Amino acid sequence: MSVGSKGLHRWSPWLFISPWLLGLIVLFVYPFIASLVWSFTEYDLLTSPRFVGVDNYKRIAREFIRGEGFGKALWNTFYFAAVSIPLSTVMAIGLAVMLNWKVRGQAVFRTLFYLPSMVPMVASSILWLWLLDPRDGMVNGVLAYFYETPPLWFQGMQEGVSLPTPFQFGSKDGLALMSFWGVGNFMLIYLAALGDIDASLYQAAELDGAGRFQKFRYITLPMLSPIIFFNLILGIIQSVQAFTQVYIVSEGTGQPAESSLLISLQLFLTAFRDLEMGYASAIAWALFVILATATWGLFRSSRNWVHYRGGRL
Amino acid sequence: MTESPSKWKLLALLSVSGLFVFPLLLMLLASVKPAAQLTSDPYSLLPNSIRTENYSESLQSIPYVKYLANSIVLCIGSVIGTVVSCSLAAYGFARMKWRGRNVLFALLIGTMLLPWHVTMIPRFVLFSELGLYNHLTAIILPTFLGDAFYIFLLRQFFMSIPEEISEAARLDGLSEFGIYWRIVLPLSKPALITVAMFQLVASWNDFSGPLLYLSDHEKFPLAYGLEQFISSYADQTHLLMAASVMFTLPMVILFFVAQKSFTRGITMTGSK
Repeated sequence: MSVGSKGLHRWSPWLFISPWLLGLIVLFVYPFIASLVWSFTEYDLLTSPRFVGVDNYKRIAREFIRGEGFGKALWNTFYFAAVSIPLSTVMAIGLAVMLNWKVRGQAVFRTLFYLPSMVPMVASSILWLWLLDPRDGMVNGVLAYFYETPPLWFQGMQEGVSLPTPFQFGSKDGLALMSFWGVGNFMLIYLAALGDIDASLYQAAELDGAGRFQKFRYITLPMLSPIIFFNLILGIIQSVQAFTQVYIVSEGTGQPAESSLLISLQLFLTAFRDLEMGYASAIAWALFVILATATWGLFRSSRNWVHYRGGRL
Repeated sequence: MTESPSKWKLLALLSVSGLFVFPLLLMLLASVKPAAQLTSDPYSLLPNSIRTENYSESLQSIPYVKYLANSIVLCIGSVIGTVVSCSLAAYGFARMKWRGRNVLFALLIGTMLLPWHVTMIPRFVLFSELGLYNHLTAIILPTFLGDAFYIFLLRQFFMSIPEEISEAARLDGLSEFGIYWRIVLPLSKPALITVAMFQLVASWNDFSGPLLYLSDHEKFPLAYGLEQFISSYADQTHLLMAASVMFTLPMVILFFVAQKSFTRGITMTGSK
């Protein structure tokens, strides 16, 4: 082998990863640093950034305490996550258990349950805007039998899970309903995990006289707990990143009364409608810190309820 | 305790399937209803008469074909970019030993955990200064620079190919690129198809990319173009639904066609 080709050989791994490496620098390292720097500035894209110290972060703290702007958006995101994540977790596990039943046509049912998850978000938003229309929507057509005043869905600012007037579903409940319909991806993850559970565990439990509920409570749930944990983290990330459907159902405004202003939309509007790039960068960083803390907290708590095969990690 | 008869299980499965598929069915039915029926009798299920003209009207009133062309350009460009850049990087991480590999691999995983909010604004400013604003290139270009999730997926697959094959090829005088191109890529077709499929769906559905970077109607892909018509077509549900069906159908068809290659990719990585 010649010296030249040996030299080339030493460099060739870097040639292979060079497109990604360029991406790492241009799409991640530089933006990561730039947004941190800009979060301490006032920047409207037209004039160069002006250093303002921690003013942006003070504003975030102020809005958080008063529950307006960033604080309102954070509350909305929290409400959306608190409604959609637990319910969709229960749904996804239930559906996966059903799809695991040995019945004829199992493959067909798997396809049917998953089908809504293949519908593009833009199309499903258009569809649900129509189905949840307060006046002409099919859903309220059914609910009219139970309600004197059917819920306003995307046109309402109420929260369906609230003390004085429960079940008066508003915009965030509509968004949560949409997420239940597209629960297929979580369902598939649980389905794969169910297939991995050792059948001998169930046989041993049956010999001990365990009923169906006991088998589910003491075998299925513990065996699924690592996946539940993984999906919880995924669910939090998805709630924080929810954007397309939020934008479409409110026509990019977060209205009515900022009730559908989730954090991603608020960040987008701050940056590209108000042209407050500095403040928006600070929001992004505050969000990053909150997400990292929540994930860390979940990891800490997971020691108490997540069961890993072969002992604790 | 006896298992409940499978009759009840079947019934439960059927009713839940119904719940999931019903909204899609309503979309399909609305897309062939006469406009008058949707306003006068919104809760009716079946169309009074099947009106396929909704589709041709929708194609005329929404620049559907132009949006579709943009979507196709976006999808093809992004899939090529993703498959090329990610398979190259995955080969570097999976099949070559070099100093700094573990550090860079940790950084790769790190980029998966970083929320897009943090990088969105500087990326936008950078791409605008590069003159990419209002060009589809702004959305396609990043796919040529790799994606952590796909690189990770392909790396796992590449690692399952026996090292002896590479060594034999090296003895035969094949270059590292030759091994990548003539041996590893052909052996990895299922994984490459899976990645291509995921990216195809992501590009077809992408809404925030066009929203951020495109301002000219001529350049909108379908996902963003359709959204423009929601508010002005609030009382033209039949046209909106016909357009939505045409936008959704390719993804549903793709799902049915690709189900096999998806599962093949997963089972092959699992069994090796």
